[in-house]
Amino acid sequence: MTPVTFACMDADTLGGIQQITHTLAQGLAERGHEVRVIGLHRDGRPFRYVERPLYRQAVINHTPIGVERRRWADRRLRLALPSEGFLVMTSPGVVTRLAGLDGGLLRIGQYHGSFEHARGSWHLGSIRAHYWKLEQAVFLSEADACRFAEDGLLPNTWALPNPLQSWPEQVSALDHRRVLGVGRLEGVKRFDRLISAFALAAPPPWELHLIGDGAELPRLRAHAAREGVGDRVVFRGRVPVSAMPEEYRRAAVLGLTSEHEGLPLVLLEAAAHGVPAVAFDVSGGVRSAEPVLVPPGDVDGFAEQLGRLLADHDERRRLGAAARARAADFRLERVLDRWEELFAHITR
Amino acid sequence: MPACSVVVITYNDAARLPRAVRSVLNQTLRDLEVIIVDDDSTDDTARVAGELARADRRVRYIRRKTNSGGCGAPRNDGIDAALSPTVMFLDSDDELPRHAVKSLLAELERTGAQFVAGQISRLYETSRRQQRYYPHLFARRRVVEGIRAEPELFLDSFSTNKLYDVAFLRSKALRFPEGVHFEDHVFSAELYSVADRFAVVPWVVYLWHRAPDDTSISLSHKEMENVRQRVRAAGTSDRILTEHGLADLVPERQYRFLRQDLPVYLHWLPSREPVWVKEFAAVVRPYLAGVPAEVLERVHPIVKVCCALILDDRPEELVVAARSLTGPQAPPRAAVRQDGRTYWGTTVAPGLDITRLHLAELPFPASRLRHEVTDVAADGEEVRMTVHTYDPFGALPAEWEAFLEVGGERIPIDPQPSGSGGYVSEITFVPGKGGDPRLGFTRLSDGHTTTDRLLVDPELPPVKARGYTLEPVGRAAFLRVKAPPYRTRLLRRVAKKALRRWSTPQNKLKVYKVLIRVVPRRRDLALFESDCGKGYTGSPRALYEELRRRELPVTAVWSVARNRAHFPSDAVLVRRMSWRYIWTMARAAYWVDSHGFPLDFPKPPGTRYLQTWHGQGIKSIGFDAPDLRADFARPREQWQEAIRRWDALVSPGAEFERIFVTANRYTGPILRYGTPRCDALVRGEAPEGLREALEIPPGRKVLLYAPTYRDAAKYTGRSVRVDLDLLAEELAEEWVLLLRTHPVDRYRVPQHVRHFVRPAGSYPEINDLMLLSDALLTDYSSVSSDYAVTGKPMLFYLDDWEEYRRTERGVYHDLPAIAPGPCVRTTEELIACLRDLPAVHASYARRYAEWRRLWCAEERGHASARAVEDFFAGSLAVPELSLVWGTTT
Repeated sequence: MTPVTFACMDADTLGGIQQITHTLAQGLAERGHEVRVIGLHRDGRPFRYVERPLYRQAVINHTPIGVERRRWADRRLRLALPSEGFLVMTSPGVVTRLAGLDGGLLRIGQYHGSFEHARGSWHLGSIRAHYWKLEQAVFLSEADACRFAEDGLLPNTWALPNPLQSWPEQVSALDHRRVLGVGRLEGVKRFDRLISAFALAAPPPWELHLIGDGAELPRLRAHAAREGVGDRVVFRGRVPVSAMPEEYRRAAVLGLTSEHEGLPLVLLEAAAHGVPAVAFDVSGGVRSAEPVLVPPGDVDGFAEQLGRLLADHDERRRLGAAARARAADFRLERVLDRWEELFAHITR
Repeated sequence: MPACSVVVITYNDAARLPRAVRSVLNQTLRDLEVIIVDDDSTDDTARVAGELARADRRVRYIRRKTNSGGCGAPRNDGIDAALSPTVMFLDSDDELPRHAVKSLLAELERTGAQFVAGQISRLYETSRRQQRYYPHLFARRRVVEGIRAEPELFLDSFSTNKLYDVAFLRSKALRFPEGVHFEDHVFSAELYSVADRFAVVPWVVYLWHRAPDDTSISLSHKEMENVRQRVRAAGTSDRILTEHGLADLVPERQYRFLRQDLPVYLHWLPSREPVWVKEFAAVVRPYLAGVPAEVLERVHPIVKVCCALILDDRPEELVVAARSLTGPQAPPRAAVRQDGRTYWGTTVAPGLDITRLHLAELPFPASRLRHEVTDVAADGEEVRMTVHTYDPFGALPAEWEAFLEVGGERIPIDPQPSGSGGYVSEITFVPGKGGDPRLGFTRLSDGHTTTDRLLVDPELPPVKARGYTLEPVGRAAFLRVKAPPYRTRLLRRVAKKALRRWSTPQNKLKVYKVLIRVVPRRRDLALFESDCGKGYTGSPRALYEELRRRELPVTAVWSVARNRAHFPSDAVLVRRMSWRYIWTMARAAYWVDSHGFPLDFPKPPGTRYLQTWHGQGIKSIGFDAPDLRADFARPREQWQEAIRRWDALVSPGAEFERIFVTANRYTGPILRYGTPRCDALVRGEAPEGLREALEIPPGRKVLLYAPTYRDAAKYTGRSVRVDLDLLAEELAEEWVLLLRTHPVDRYRVPQHVRHFVRPAGSYPEINDLMLLSDALLTDYSSVSSDYAVTGKPMLFYLDDWEEYRRTERGVYHDLPAIAPGPCVRTTEELIACLRDLPAVHASYARRYAEWRRLWCAEERGHASARAVEDFFAGSLAVPELSLVWGTTT
């Protein structure tokens, strides 16, 4: 089978793109592909994603992002890259960094953000300028691919969702009075809106559990107190991956109020556990997971939908079951099938 | 069976055929075949094509036994020979971009369409520049259920930018007409008639090469046979539509003819012989005679005039009119005004009505004169020319002075009234700089000037004087002076280039960081900057003027962005981000600005920085604004660092502190005396002569339209959302609109509303405009907070309120609930409010008072004085000057 090489800015940092990349690498390797994962930089505290990787790994610079000796790095890159097969580049930065070093490879450029996010930053300009040169430009949803095709005039767009790492057997009974929010406590996640909506929608004894840590913690705590729900918003800090299924099983509803999202794994994982979600309609990726959608930033509307779900156990059940059925499309095996369809399309 | 057959037709083009074929073989779709159909070439084509076929098994070569004289027959042969379920056509001088076939094929399979059309792009080989053909037609990726849904697509009558389902073509017996030109027009008409489902994609799928010496196209346009064939193709196409029961769409097809086909010849008319023009008119006339008046009304008024002149057989005037179509779009030689309508020429007829252009109502500096060079010759170093000037709308006043402007220099001239109307000038000048010469008239009563370029015979051979060349440019042709190539000494050029290469912002920052450690601050040096150097305005200006008034011993340096003017003559000016600017930043003991000095540049030890922020309002700001809300940490850190540099912040009041100070997490001292920039508004005197300077006719009221920018659409002009055409039509008698676009937006006012709209985006001081105006129209801009000081009416155009408040930007207030004036969502509502403004304004009195309490409670007109006292003269003042160089922190 044709070799597949993934190239990331940093392949061993703890983060969403990295987790997805290693999941895909292992999955494709198990299907018999010869897989490599190349990190252009090494994290200070490298994270091990896969216990027994069936693929090779390489790090080009043992320095943080932005620091490298160009010529030396180019030489190492040429050695690390195979002479044939697919090269999957995970971000616009990688695509521009590897330009000219990837002769003979079938190049695929991914973008893990939404069109809306790219539009507000240098990403859209970079994608417009460079992605048409690749064999394929891969986005997280059909809607995103279409926006990039129209606004970036890209002829080579393709949609491939992120995979779910595992598929749970057990689902949530949806009878714990708990709303769940998962993510880094950073400004972009806008948990303040989730707290405000929760305050409007959820009478005691409902609780809001926020999983994750970050610099916004003190401000969010103060915000919860101001909203009068300081005692019912529980900041849980980081929870190990292995304990997350338990968290989903104890949740009745997931809330997603971020400013930007690509295709949030949280949404897929909650859906896989049969947990219905209310989310701001911020990207094609969010839409593709089919949560209850609310116009972005409309906290009152969000509270209304959240309140409706909290008040109606049967509705939660119905939506939860539908979400799980929908999430099946994001199971690793299906996503791997779609990767192989992509490979077939490229070599057509 | 390959997935697609690409039919490459060729005739005597052996040199370029391999490029075309290679562009197909290099497609990302590998599973295809190339069918070269040779229309019996007499050159080397057979050998070249044979080689291509031998080198790649996917290439087949078909040679026709006789020359067909067109593109139709070879393409039909290609369809017949195609083995694949889909087919595309390519001409041997063009190329397919790499993804063209695969992307169209995937779209065909995804949508189940009968064919897919993509963007065609002209590639100018000299400049490598690309120009897309009618991009708006292809802007959205979509499926069209039959041409009736979008008849504008008749504008796309190419056969090459499409991928077809072969079974569909065969089942409908779709073929190209043979032995004629414009076979693709006829083919497309039939294609559109029978297709009920086709797809459109926005990306480029066909590169139409325009060779540097591409005279073939302009030459073919010169052949009368070409005109005949095109008119015939149009007639045939219209008939095909009728035969397929689409008679109601014929006007749409005719519109295409007027918009696209006819101008191809009209644009060249200024270069043609009178005999040619007469024959051309005779060839086109029968077709135009069948075009209904409603269709003529839809095209540009000058094209409509050309049609009328063709129908009336007035070929000389036709050429005169055609010169207004391209280039400077010159006005007519003469015009008639009757009952409020304006007519082209000297007679009144509906076909000559050009009122829509509003050329007769333009303010003097924007008014249009027509200058035709009738004679030009070199006489030694000098150039002599005769220019005939026409003033069709009577724009020239009783007293004026005239000049020729060339290369920035003005040469006085003396136009004499001519017997045939207008003026004739005999001009002699010595060319000293390149550029487009313009003829100008200055009105003596107020010194206002209007200029226009000079029309010249497009066939004029170049005239040389002193190494300069005078030549015609463009098809309507205006005069250009070309300077001889510029030469400097090699060493100097290399040095200059090296310096420029080294002078990157990164290097400047590095040098700056060293500078602030080794040079001391100058105790009396203050660096002022407003709006990143874009103007001499705002609070920094007010503070600067207060300093001057008090004659404080402060040397002020103003930062000036590229191409900006109107700065005070008594201050030192430095270009923003130049080396001198870096030096001044490092030396100044005071920094005063309204937006932010360059990010990443630390404040030198001892320097004191007064931030006078440029506005307050309902828009989200600081860390709540979209650019800092994105999922990147770096911009937030940068901004946090930038704010740490502030030593004092000017605050207009409590609401500003509640919003702005919180949103920026600022913790330093605050000067709450009101806003220095608003002092002028409290004083309330508009500068004298401003009305006249802006050409506002007496009695006309002034509406200041100041929309804010949209974050996702900077520099696009999309912040101007009011329908200016409609507003002009309804209100131009009573109002003048001052259009003040935001500094990060760019908008070009179309000429046909210039009689009503005064572009004021680059006017240096917005306070003047506020004081002059009778009312303000805005949306979410902070200007409404300052404007409240004046007490004058405000209107809010909030057609995108929901989007703006939720996703675009975010807001802190529910504007429609608290706005001090009507919030409208359509231009019609706006017009209704403006017609009844005093009553409408009175009904908002309570809200207006609330609004003033919210934003302007502290505005008493002494903000500059107090702030200067505090920051420059008072306790806050003394910079902790380092005695040991730069070691104090």
